[in-house]
Amino acid sequence: MKQRIFGLIAAAGLLAAGAPALAHHSVQAEFDMSKTGKFVGELKRFANINPHPRWFFEAQNPDGTVTPFEISAGGGRNRARNMGILRSFKVGDTYTVTYAPAWNGANVGRMRDIVFPDGRVVTIFHADPNNPLDN
Amino acid sequence: MTRHLLGYSAVAVLSVAALACGGATGGDSETPRTAQGTPDLTGFWVQGADFDEATELNAAAVEDGGAGADDFIYISTARPCHPGQECGPAVNAERDPGILNGVNPNKPFYRPEHWERVQYLDLNGNAEDPSGFCFPLGVPRMGPPSKIVQTDTEVIFLYARGNLFRVIPIDGRPHHPIMSLDLAWHGDAVGTWEGDTLVIDTVGFTDETWLGDPGYFHSNNMRVVERITRVGNTFTWEATVHDPEVFEEPFTMDPVVRTLNANPMAQLQEYLPCQERDWQHMVSRERS
Repeated sequence: MKQRIFGLIAAAGLLAAGAPALAHHSVQAEFDMSKTGKFVGELKRFANINPHPRWFFEAQNPDGTVTPFEISAGGGRNRARNMGILRSFKVGDTYTVTYAPAWNGANVGRMRDIVFPDGRVVTIFHADPNNPLDN
Repeated sequence: MTRHLLGYSAVAVLSVAALACGGATGGDSETPRTAQGTPDLTGFWVQGADFDEATELNAAAVEDGGAGADDFIYISTARPCHPGQECGPAVNAERDPGILNGVNPNKPFYRPEHWERVQYLDLNGNAEDPSGFCFPLGVPRMGPPSKIVQTDTEVIFLYARGNLFRVIPIDGRPHHPIMSLDLAWHGDAVGTWEGDTLVIDTVGFTDETWLGDPGYFHSNNMRVVERITRVGNTFTWEATVHDPEVFEEPFTMDPVVRTLNANPMAQLQEYLPCQERDWQHMVSRERS
């Protein structure tokens, strides 16, 4: 079974909230949201923490070596809607990750979408505001 | 099988379901009162009927039995694309709320000798905002509570954000002689009733919290007066900050309205531990 899951992006909740998320800096100050990177890697750890859930991967390189990657996504208010999907990640499985890269070149990124071993695609966000899949 | 799930409609269904099963309601109901005649603030209080994580969680529990559904929706808050709104670009989404905070005309009026510091903190929010490094927001930035338990002698405030609580005596006692000298994030609070309004006076603060994003600092001699007025199934929370050491005049924050969530299935969500891992990769000290 192949499921395709589209994300809905909503900042209005944050605007209404008044109080900021703890330890939340600025996404744009860390990641170039206009660019994308991609890797295939083994999930080593998933950390369900604030202010952002984090996935720790080892990306497989052609020469057999691995490169560690730390990928984060929106947290806080998203959690109640996503408990099921967050639980479905399995350490040791291999995922294909598309992400917005860090400005400083470090191996960290903001999750765009992730492909599960069974082909399911979880889209976290699209950069294109006119993408009909977001609406 | 390919299954397409559209987030908007799902959120709408969840919200409607929450209302249908006794979720958040408006303020046209009669105000419940205690045996002493004061308004009873006891209840689970949420931001609104249409976009609250607790409401949606409760609705989801009713809709699908609470767990095990294989239809997943990942909703992120990185972009203004709320139901009923036009989607905006993700690239600068977070800058916009920050700018809005900065242009809010309701600002504390600092004494001239502090203007340079306010400006520095505003321009260096990524580096200087204590909430960015997992410190508590503190009173009054933490806003109104998520849940209130009221007895004859005290009110207990529970805050979902941060798993925090405050126990505020309302039996007429003065500030604690020792605790009121503390340097704390929540301070020493006492409450009294002025008509139908609960007035909470708090002192004993650390100066390591902010009042808001644009670098609004305060001294450890700050005194905060919160006022909670319940009318029907809503309450209004207001906070005035008295800090003559740094302010020319008291600063009253924008009022916040909360709505009662009467859903008996409603429960507070555990707040996950906070770990700061981003600052080392930031290329700008400016938050917004």
